Amino acid sequence: MSSGQPSVAVLLSAGRHPVSRAARACHGDAVALGLARRLGADKVLALHAGDAGEPSLRDYHALGAEHIEVLPFAAGFEVLPALVHRLRTVDVIVTGGRAETGLGSGLLPYALAHALGRPVVGNVLEAHPGDASMRIRQFLPKGKRRGVRALIPIVLIAHPLAPVDLRYAHARRVTGQISVGRPGPSREPASDDLWSIEPDARRPIPLRAQDRKAGHARLMSAIASEANAGVVAIEGSCVDKAQVLLSYLREHRLVDF
Amino acid sequence: MNQIKRVDPRRPVYVTPAGLPRIVLGETGSSDPAGSAERVPAARDGAKPLRARRIPERWLMAVVHSDRGSLDGPARQAIAAAAILATAETGVVAVVLGELSEDLGPAGADRVVVLPDLDAARFQPERELAAVSAVIAAYGPEHVFLPDTLKGEGDLGRRLIVAHSESSATHVVEVGAQHAAVTWACGGQLARTRLPRFVLLEAGVVDAKLPFVGAGEIDAATFDVVAVDACQDEGLEDIDLAEISLVEADFIVGAGNGVRNVGTLGALARSLGAAVGASRVAVDAGLYPRDKQIGATGKTVTANAYVAVGISGAVQHLQGIKDCRHVIAINRDAGAPIVKRADLTLIGDAEELMQAVIERIAQARLQRELPVQS
Repeated sequence: MSSGQPSVAVLLSAGRHPVSRAARACHGDAVALGLARRLGADKVLALHAGDAGEPSLRDYHALGAEHIEVLPFAAGFEVLPALVHRLRTVDVIVTGGRAETGLGSGLLPYALAHALGRPVVGNVLEAHPGDASMRIRQFLPKGKRRGVRALIPIVLIAHPLAPVDLRYAHARRVTGQISVGRPGPSREPASDDLWSIEPDARRPIPLRAQDRKAGHARLMSAIASEANAGVVAIEGSCVDKAQVLLSYLREHRLVDF
Repeated sequence: MNQIKRVDPRRPVYVTPAGLPRIVLGETGSSDPAGSAERVPAARDGAKPLRARRIPERWLMAVVHSDRGSLDGPARQAIAAAAILATAETGVVAVVLGELSEDLGPAGADRVVVLPDLDAARFQPERELAAVSAVIAAYGPEHVFLPDTLKGEGDLGRRLIVAHSESSATHVVEVGAQHAAVTWACGGQLARTRLPRFVLLEAGVVDAKLPFVGAGEIDAATFDVVAVDACQDEGLEDIDLAEISLVEADFIVGAGNGVRNVGTLGALARSLGAAVGASRVAVDAGLYPRDKQIGATGKTVTANAYVAVGISGAVQHLQGIKDCRHVIAINRDAGAPIVKRADLTLIGDAEELMQAVIERIAQARLQRELPVQS
């Protein structure tokens, strides 16, 4: 690893609006770009594996990636070996949560970290590089945040709520440059062909257990409402009722005293 | 052959304790009492029957994190998915990361493996990966189901997929006996594949209500791991509850029309370590800002515990708290609709009850602190 500031790369994918399918910056990747720019100032390697003529790359220019390197790939080819080859020397790799085209499985950062033999940290809100290590603030649901210290080199997955300063500048969109790199060692087809796409949009059907009951039992269950009556404390003083509440909170471990 | 569907007059029946023959749809067998003797006896007094009585030959696995000793909705759905898709000779093993204080038989698990020191609050992905891989190696499940949540299972699931390099599906929105489907390119179309080994389920994909129960036996075997994490956990941060959004909060105190003193309610929320929400009436009265409103026109909250103070519980408000696990009501009217929804209701004057609760909690905190100091 180089001394001083770590080298930073961000992976940008083709973004599509979920309804109109218009080309635009993928939100998760735009946040990742903001996070990478905070980490690596202006010297961030912005990388896109795909088509060099991809229209959504212009949006990334406008959001601050003045120069984007493209590893040319036709659709349906496995990009991982080429990315591993290109990113081997980069200290910090920042990605978004999932792509807006194709499967969008969110597996790429994990596969990349596994292939490069480095740790991967998900749901990153902030990252502060120090000496050979990095202090990361992680998002957890239910209003919790967690601090993690990790060694560089590392792969970071940005959380969509990361507090980044994203400003759209049309001048950058116009002046942004795209350079085409070499695709790298292998060109094997991706494993997407295991999937078949249904032609018509439809709602997914939830999985339910088949309830085998006799007709009489089914009729009875249709008229009986689900008994969900809780405890009602009517009698007693306020102090007694407060005790009932505290006991309930303790019983269900909702408080830690 | 004749293609017309016909009703078999000798289709299987069972005889109720009252001596009435009953037909069960979907059952195969004969109406001969000797032939139907193997049938699982009908549940008496509401108890659900056991899903499978044979010793399992194969396994399906669900890997979930526990939350305060119990399981949340997505975790239950992952176990339910395994239980629904399991056949008579397949067992369901639930791997619970974190402490567990409830019986998982009703959730559909036949065998439960508890790994108590791997709870979701700590960041230890390598240890989790090694421990769960050890359990997978011990059971050799055909399919492994995980909820695709931000709490940690989504992360762990992807690490498992990459480490095992096997067929997988993430963000799964539809699952069946033979297939799994995801939304293609975040749009309305679905892409389907054969049911892979690792299935990461989105929330709400499975109905966790089961007509049967699992055996729920605890597997006492220990799965020792020697993995060391590359990353060091620096612990959870203390966050001011007023700062985070209501949608994210885990404990909420809601104020309604019955609350006259906003200060007391704030004190109650502080003493419980909870965020403050309000019903539409309290917001319209100007007691709380609009972004605190819970309900159909406000926010939908997913808190673990919700204390409704002076809220009658109009359907619009109940919509907003439908995903709250424990609802506690403090209300003057024992006939209010919130009482039907609440798990615990205290009837009485809101102001007096709030004061009593604040005092009692202050006492409890003090008692708890004393042994720590000595």
